[in-house]
Amino acid sequence: MTKPAFPPIPSPLGPEHSRRRPLVSLTPLIDVVFILLIFFMLASSFLDWRTLEVMTPAPGNPASSPDKALVVELLADGRWLLGGQTLDPQSLQQQIAKQIARHPELTIMVRPEEGVLLQTAIDVLDRLRAAGASKVSLVRGRTP
Amino acid sequence: MRDSNFRFQHTAHARDEDEGILPLINVVFLLLIFFIIVGSFSQVDPFTIEPIVSDATEALEETPLVIHMGAEGQLAIGEHNISMEQLPEELQAIVGDTVPETMWIKAHGAADATRLVLLMEQLRSAGVKRLHLLTIQREL
Repeated sequence: MTKPAFPPIPSPLGPEHSRRRPLVSLTPLIDVVFILLIFFMLASSFLDWRTLEVMTPAPGNPASSPDKALVVELLADGRWLLGGQTLDPQSLQQQIAKQIARHPELTIMVRPEEGVLLQTAIDVLDRLRAAGASKVSLVRGRTP
Repeated sequence: MRDSNFRFQHTAHARDEDEGILPLINVVFLLLIFFIIVGSFSQVDPFTIEPIVSDATEALEETPLVIHMGAEGQLAIGEHNISMEQLPEELQAIVGDTVPETMWIKAHGAADATRLVLLMEQLRSAGVKRLHLLTIQREL
């Protein structure tokens, strides 16, 4: 037999009527705790947000002219082009790393076509950063 | 005999009801404390946003001024829906005359990338100098 959690309250009707009853009933406490639990479960967020600085050239900025920067084009059909040549993600990263080794201050512009998912564009930005590029801008695609 | 035995067990169970529920309360309390400590309150987004995944490692330190962009390209700041075309004017109406230098964009991963570029251009023309995209870390 386990030890009672609360001391028994002596009954005014005599010892035969005394019952082990806690001072505070646990049921309302459990109700409140459950409500608090549900509230915190619904209101809490466990997403660990990170920030990624994104740039787009200011209108009239000479760096925004494509002939002074390397342009990576993202097509809606999933192809990635560098200088008109289709590259897979791995070789794009290698090509960019080579160019960056030669010109560390090289500006790279990522030009997604209409219909390219934002997640795809960010994947490309990640590849470029992994290749060592620091000046990466997003520019708008040409209208067909 | 079996019947009286059952009755005895039933009465004993009713008497120990509060003690029997104590492990449940313990677990619920532990869960409650876990959610209070580990979770952080999140503002409800005006529309569903599937976070973008990236390799960015910079943690979000402050509570920033966030502009939301949904999968269809719809825009909102807090509860205010805004249009792309009128963005500079509507941003000024929300934040006042002093447009913040830095803003954060929480965009849906399935949104059109060109729409984000257009949004960035509009924010730059409104006077915002630095733009950050809110992402979650890529799972390895």
